[in-house]
Amino acid sequence: MTSGTPHLGGAAAGRHGPSRATLVISLLAVAAAAACGTTSGASTSSSSSSALASSQVLKFPVFQNPGTWDPGEADAEVDTEFMQNVFDNLWRFDDSLNIVPDIATAVPTAANGGVSSDGLTYTVHLNPNATFDNGDKVTAEDVLYSWDRAVALQGAYSSNLSAVAGYAAVQSASGSPPASTTGSPLNFQQSIENGLWGCFRGKGTAGATCNSSLEMSGLTAPDGLTGSTVQIKLANACGWCLAAWTLEGTTGAIVDENVIHNDPVNWWTKPSGKTDGMVGTGAYYLASFIPKQSMVFKAVKNWWGSPKPTLTEVDVDIKDPSALATSVAAWKQGSYGIVGYGGDSGNLDYPTIESIKGSAYSKDLLTQPKGRTTWLSFAIGYPKTGGPFVGESAAAVGLRKAMDLAVDKTGLATTVCHDLLCTAATGGVITKGLVGNLGDNQDPLAQYNPTEAKQLLKQYDPTGTLTADLTYSYNTGGLNDAVAEYLQNDWQTNLGIHVNLNPVGDASQFISNRLGGQYMMSRDGWQFDYNNPQDWYANLWGAFATAAGANTSGFDDPTYDSVLNQADAEPISQSLPLYDQLATILQQDVAYIPLYYSVGNFLIQPWVKGAGSNTGFDYYWDQISILSH
Amino acid sequence: MTRGTLIYIAQRLAIIVLTLLVVSFVVFVVVHALPGNAFISQRVHGRSLQLLLHEYGLDQPVLIQYWNFLKGAIHGDLGVSLYIRGEQVTPLVLRELSVSCELGGAALIVTIGVGMTFGVLAAIRQNTWVDYLLTSLAVVGYTVPSFVIAGLGIMIFANFLGSVTGGAIAYSPVWTGTYGTIGELWLPALSIGLYTSGQITRITRASMLEVIQQDYIRTARAKGLREWVVTLRHALRNALVPVISILGTTVVGILVGVLVIENIFGIPGLGKEFVESILQHDYNVTVGVFTIFALLIGLSNLAVDLIYTVVDPRIRY
Repeated sequence: MTSGTPHLGGAAAGRHGPSRATLVISLLAVAAAAACGTTSGASTSSSSSSALASSQVLKFPVFQNPGTWDPGEADAEVDTEFMQNVFDNLWRFDDSLNIVPDIATAVPTAANGGVSSDGLTYTVHLNPNATFDNGDKVTAEDVLYSWDRAVALQGAYSSNLSAVAGYAAVQSASGSPPASTTGSPLNFQQSIENGLWGCFRGKGTAGATCNSSLEMSGLTAPDGLTGSTVQIKLANACGWCLAAWTLEGTTGAIVDENVIHNDPVNWWTKPSGKTDGMVGTGAYYLASFIPKQSMVFKAVKNWWGSPKPTLTEVDVDIKDPSALATSVAAWKQGSYGIVGYGGDSGNLDYPTIESIKGSAYSKDLLTQPKGRTTWLSFAIGYPKTGGPFVGESAAAVGLRKAMDLAVDKTGLATTVCHDLLCTAATGGVITKGLVGNLGDNQDPLAQYNPTEAKQLLKQYDPTGTLTADLTYSYNTGGLNDAVAEYLQNDWQTNLGIHVNLNPVGDASQFISNRLGGQYMMSRDGWQFDYNNPQDWYANLWGAFATAAGANTSGFDDPTYDSVLNQADAEPISQSLPLYDQLATILQQDVAYIPLYYSVGNFLIQPWVKGAGSNTGFDYYWDQISILSH
Repeated sequence: MTRGTLIYIAQRLAIIVLTLLVVSFVVFVVVHALPGNAFISQRVHGRSLQLLLHEYGLDQPVLIQYWNFLKGAIHGDLGVSLYIRGEQVTPLVLRELSVSCELGGAALIVTIGVGMTFGVLAAIRQNTWVDYLLTSLAVVGYTVPSFVIAGLGIMIFANFLGSVTGGAIAYSPVWTGTYGTIGELWLPALSIGLYTSGQITRITRASMLEVIQQDYIRTARAKGLREWVVTLRHALRNALVPVISILGTTVVGILVGVLVIENIFGIPGLGKEFVESILQHDYNVTVGVFTIFALLIGLSNLAVDLIYTVVDPRIRY
């Protein structure tokens, strides 16, 4: 056989061999060359050549459909990530989350005369060059219209404008939308638009009437509606307002009434046009939107702002989360420039990240802490559901503390997140990197002390009857299932308590029940909106949260509310110690068990320059360019 | 077409309409009864939630909501999406339907092409290695789910070939535009088609084996007809009846495959919507999708019944 092999091979070569052998060798050569090519290509481009590619088109997938791009009604992160490139606010967050001028010429301060001595009046001068992408000039009336409209719509972020004088009156005047008889919302937006048209862009036109009850008394234009000065008077001092007004893609964004007037409901779903479609002041405009399939944004020619966009086009494929694997494969082939943009950075699962880290692509993996904290809430203020954790008795607080100290938070980050998808939440509820974070290991609730936990349990529940029937509820998916099992295991191991798990398949139902205080212990969390502790302490545990039905734990403490009111009224330099006091109150009360801070993971081609993300949002598209590759 | 056939078609169409009504009503009631809704979030609850529910008419009794839906549906208006707020559902699902039909059609071609070719070859080479190989492949195809075939396909043609050839020769798993390209379509179509073709192979083989034993086949050979003429013209046509009888269920199998495969490959079709719309509580989309799927199944079964009369003239309605 051995001796015959060459002969057979030779015979075979005589008949078909040269081509087959050549083919095999060629394939191997191609494979080797291609493999070498990949390596050298990657290193070339990474070392690159800062020359720009001839095509400045960026393509990436998102794994969630947009809900609405109407800033008055927007809610989801995926929406605001896109809208920040299409709309502008008076100010914007830079990459380090500082507030910098956008449509306004300056960030108002007492020093530059932008804020009155009592802190109640802001004077804002608009950039005279600012225009919408359809050519309409931005004037004071656009700011007044945009903000009045956003308040009247009463959307998810309308409370960002709640300190402006006249806010409550406008919401009361806009009332409830009429009930739809067709299942389609037609009348509410239309009636608001009808009421505002005569006040602003349509003023003086035939048939236009102004419903002045839809105008906030605190918003005025001292130089006239077509001028470029806006005055904002507050009903009460507000230290967080500037940050909230700066939150892009939401109620602070400036919109063009000329286009909204033509279709108050669906204007945002259509490509930008002269008198119709999603028109904004940003560096990009919507050129095409095919729902549940794709969207195309193009750079605005001669855009008024800076930096001037280099990317000429941004193509976005809308995918289902189950298409992650194929999307990553497409990214590896170079079909996508980025995976993880659009608020989807959390979609990269552990196996994907691990495989990337162990490959030549590891240098293209960007890991960025995100402003999202997950913790466990006790139903402190809900006697029907809170079980042994209700109230402020020594036993209730002690048992909450026992449950807290029995959980190894660092171990959770390692076991569940593999130290890739999250980090242990040891600096309080506010995520690391944001104003108000207490610093590593400064939250006493982040401690792990099973001995003390056991002592507390023995002290407050010596017979075990109080903790005999505990349940932890969570919405399934993501890390939640693994976290629940981890918690269950820690409590069993360290306290000898079996906690039942209640997985809830429907996230909306879970949120609804959780906010209604229907769970004894539940997964809880918050994604920050703007970089101010008020965003956390007021929206989650304050009187405002309680009134809005958003206080998961039912935590109610007059001292907390009093300090919160005081803090909210002060500028951040003075309010920070007060917010730290609130953190201490929550910790002493053991209102929560801190679990983890989320980490976002992005795949970014080496030839995509300027892409990235900070704690809050993806970097703006006008910072990105495509290098030749 | 005979008068009897026309009456039969009319009866079947009436049953399909009735089926659609029942399906739409049941789905409408069931999805509305599911806990949660499309609007709830950490920021939308309490009053702002009530406003949205009121605005979209979702706080009305479900029967009134269904009646409103039905009135619109009769005029071709399936209402608006609750997830993409205000987006019209009818053009959305019709576009997605056309994409799924493209994929399903391609998968059907693979199913019939591969299934019948394998079946015929296995029958005419009965008890040879060809027969064993093809029937084994059919069993494998029939038992391996389409999503496994898809996963393997992506691993081999996208990941492996992509890394080996630096992307020069590889399947690109990015679906471009509404309908994609043939280069993007072949692997999803193959993933669905290989699975469903297994059954067609087995039925075709069995049917062919029965037919080629018949006297008229011997007669055809005795007349000196070429073997391929005997096989294709005389044997295959008669062997087709049982194959066609399972085409209805095959189409259903393809539709089920579309549900899974569209998600894996990120194809913007109706199958992707099937699960997504339920998870998103996008009621009108869900009802639209289920109703269209019911319509497709009804029409495909009717088409199969009508094809019987073409293949076998003895069948009359």
